[in-house]
Amino acid sequence: MNTDFINQIGLNHYLILAALLFTMGMAGVLLRRNVIVLLMSIELMLNSVNLTFVAFSKYLGLLDGHIIVFFVMTIAAAEAAVGLALAVTIFKRFREVNIRFFEHLKG
Amino acid sequence: MTADAFLFWFLAIVTLGSGLSVILLSNPIYSALSLAMTMVGISALFVTLNAYFIAGVQLIVYAGAVMVLFVMVIMLFDLKSDTVAFAKGKFTGALKVASVGLLAGLVVAAIDLSKGLIGVKDGENHLVALGDMEATKSLGRILFQKYVFGFEALGVLLLVIAVGAVSLARSKGGTHEH
Repeated sequence: MNTDFINQIGLNHYLILAALLFTMGMAGVLLRRNVIVLLMSIELMLNSVNLTFVAFSKYLGLLDGHIIVFFVMTIAAAEAAVGLALAVTIFKRFREVNIRFFEHLKG
Repeated sequence: MTADAFLFWFLAIVTLGSGLSVILLSNPIYSALSLAMTMVGISALFVTLNAYFIAGVQLIVYAGAVMVLFVMVIMLFDLKSDTVAFAKGKFTGALKVASVGLLAGLVVAAIDLSKGLIGVKDGENHLVALGDMEATKSLGRILFQKYVFGFEALGVLLLVIAVGAVSLARSKGGTHEH
């Protein structure tokens, strides 16, 4: 067992952690049927990307990554607001928030 | 094991565990609580990366505002445990899990192979030379000078989103007026 991998925390550790979180979010989007859980999985993916940005920002010594993280956070909050508003309208009509009701959306 | 390494592994386990329970628990409110735990874990990881300001914003915006929004909507719907939480179809489900595993393997292998290509030595730390206040100060300077257009555009977008969300939610008859 190589103890260097456990003791020396570097950029790769954060990148791999973020990649695993991203694939978890992707699995959630693919497998779950509840719209709200789907939105949560999307938040999970956005968060993992944020983690990647901040890790690169630290190890490359650039602060620009932090700015992108701000932008991503704002977009994520906006996306959650619109997605939940859509879920509310779907729930009003069908009394359920299953993703299959989104197949026949009308304006 | 050093304190840094222990902190990272502890946070990694907490984050991955609660991330898994977001997608595996069939009750949406448990999913929401696990997601809040994940957000807190990621915020702590930001602290280990010396991004103190981002960590605070993460806690306030995600673990505060966005999660409250989610939990409020779940309580509004009064959703019990989902009867059909997961997509039907064993074959397509296996296909989806396989593709997710393939993506995870590809990304991890790519990261492992690209070691040394990015031009970073492991464990090297540039931003630590800046004090926390200095880092936050230069963050503000970059945001309002280099990225000021994006900042303004984001403000306009937020206004549009606020108006759009309200008008969507209060439209009569939902998306199927009759």
